[in-house]
Amino acid sequence: MSHLAHTVAVRASGVDMFFGTPENRVVALKQADFEARRGELIMLVGPSGCGKTTLLSVIAGTLTPQAGTVEVFGQRLDGLGQEALTTFRRQNLGFVFQSFNLIPTLSVVENVMVPLLIQGRPFDEARTRALAIIDKVGLKGREDGWPNALSGGQQQRVAIARALVHEPPLLICDEPTSALDKDTGAQIMQMVRDLSRSPERCVVVVTHDHRIFRFADRIAEMEDGRISRVVDDPKLLDTTQL
Amino acid sequence: MYRLALNMLFGDRAKLAMLLCGLAFSALLMAQQSSVFFGIMSWTYTPMVNIRAQVWVSDPMVEQVNDAKPLRDTDLGRVRSVDGVAWAAPLHTSFVQARMQDGNFKLITLVGIDADTFAGAPAVLSQGRIEDLRLPDTVIVDEWGAALMGRMTVGPDGKPKNTPLKVGDTFEINDIQARIVGICRVKRAFTGGPFVYTTYDRAKGYTLGARRTLSFMLVEPQKGVTPAALCDRIERDTGLKAWTSDTVIWSWGERSLARNTFWWFWTNTGIPFSFGTAVLLGLFVGIAISGQTFYSFVLENLKYFAAIKAMGAGMGVIARMLFVQAFTAGLIGFGLGAGMAQAIGRVMIEKGMPPFVMFPQILWATFALVLGISFVSAVIGIIKVSRVDAASVFRG
Repeated sequence: MSHLAHTVAVRASGVDMFFGTPENRVVALKQADFEARRGELIMLVGPSGCGKTTLLSVIAGTLTPQAGTVEVFGQRLDGLGQEALTTFRRQNLGFVFQSFNLIPTLSVVENVMVPLLIQGRPFDEARTRALAIIDKVGLKGREDGWPNALSGGQQQRVAIARALVHEPPLLICDEPTSALDKDTGAQIMQMVRDLSRSPERCVVVVTHDHRIFRFADRIAEMEDGRISRVVDDPKLLDTTQL
Repeated sequence: MYRLALNMLFGDRAKLAMLLCGLAFSALLMAQQSSVFFGIMSWTYTPMVNIRAQVWVSDPMVEQVNDAKPLRDTDLGRVRSVDGVAWAAPLHTSFVQARMQDGNFKLITLVGIDADTFAGAPAVLSQGRIEDLRLPDTVIVDEWGAALMGRMTVGPDGKPKNTPLKVGDTFEINDIQARIVGICRVKRAFTGGPFVYTTYDRAKGYTLGARRTLSFMLVEPQKGVTPAALCDRIERDTGLKAWTSDTVIWSWGERSLARNTFWWFWTNTGIPFSFGTAVLLGLFVGIAISGQTFYSFVLENLKYFAAIKAMGAGMGVIARMLFVQAFTAGLIGFGLGAGMAQAIGRVMIEKGMPPFVMFPQILWATFALVLGISFVSAVIGIIKVSRVDAASVFRG
């Protein structure tokens, strides 16, 4: 039991989440249970509107559930105030967004520096670390360029660099390949896998893109606001149902 | 983060240019209109500047320097007898019509000064000598007045040309000849008319029929006596009103005739309302343009601010980022606007119209108002960002 507890990175139990007024309630999560382990890359998949993004937001601490418990790396998130959640995200989370969300008026390196500067790191240290990870994602020489001058794949690489530059234990990826073609998407997922692979890090990827399922260690399938099943071998998943 | 905040601001050049235009225009309007206002208002107490004396004595009912209520000539002796008075000289000021040689009339400010001491005489004469005022029927005219009272002649190019009066020219005041023996350089007055200096006794002659001609008394305190202390003594001993010549209108000293004149015009004319409206307009235009532009800047960056929030930046950090951006734009906008106001002011000062006095207080006030505009703009942006849900970054 203690070994199991040690390996759990994220645990959500009996999570309820609904939006709207009591008369016009939209249920997003209904008694949802989810678990992710340290060192694994787990994908959350399912049809549109099944609650993937809501569950991701709850795990990321950007939404507070109405019921249930959420624990990330031993820290209970339910019941934390906004300030504590903000601090938690700052220290523990890296984000890769569907639409990259790179600030167009900042250079590549400045975009990558953002999480470190939010943490209060000195500018020079942040720049050095940002340059090192930009090199790792294969964009050396583009660090002073503008995000809009890069291709979609290159922009997502910058986003990955930004997500990992402060070495967060939990990496949250929201549809990281939806704006990319097949090959670029595969390259990006390979990069996420290579760079984020660590016994102490957990990667949660929300995706519709069955072409990247092969990069997952496990796949959690969602339906009607809850996890319907967890597949250990991605090849066993019937992608036609998604 | 503040460095990045600035890079975000400077990276969007179109928005920045719009923002700076709004702030600079606002600063220009506020600084320039205020400077013209204070320039015009400084003309109200011009006699205090042109007729220099440490203490002015007037009728107790006098409220401002342009509103002389004549005194009895015997009052001069009473003032001279007050302990602490080194000397006291009579001064006549009045508005009279002067008839030019071409038959045209001009309203002038006639200043009669003591022929013995020349107390109150202009400081700078560009032509002639002050002593020549002792010659019969003589006057000294200021440079502006000489041009205003000049003759229209036809120039060599066939175009009409104004020829200013010069030493030796004559005109008439109440049918009495006035011969110009000097041209002086003095500050222009609110009434806009020329200053014509003559002796006190001759001024009496020019103002036929006036029973009393003593407008003010110019008094010099004895060594060791302050003007304010002497004013107290004069008022106590004579019942007349005594004023200091202090022209710092910001001071609270009730003895300053200049200050009282300034505030008299402030409360009794529509000038402050007129210029105040222009300054307010500048303020509102600044708030409207800058607030709107900054708001649109924030709107355009809203998803990035949401992403920054999701990454763990608190509202405090984001608020400071927005303040840094707004205040930096405000600082640059103020610099541009105040610089333009100064440049326009230089041209105005060279032309002499309209008057332009840019007190340091005007710049400070404009600076504070521009920062106020920036503050309002930043707050509008902060309210918008504070309402953005960090979870919105996951909604595509």
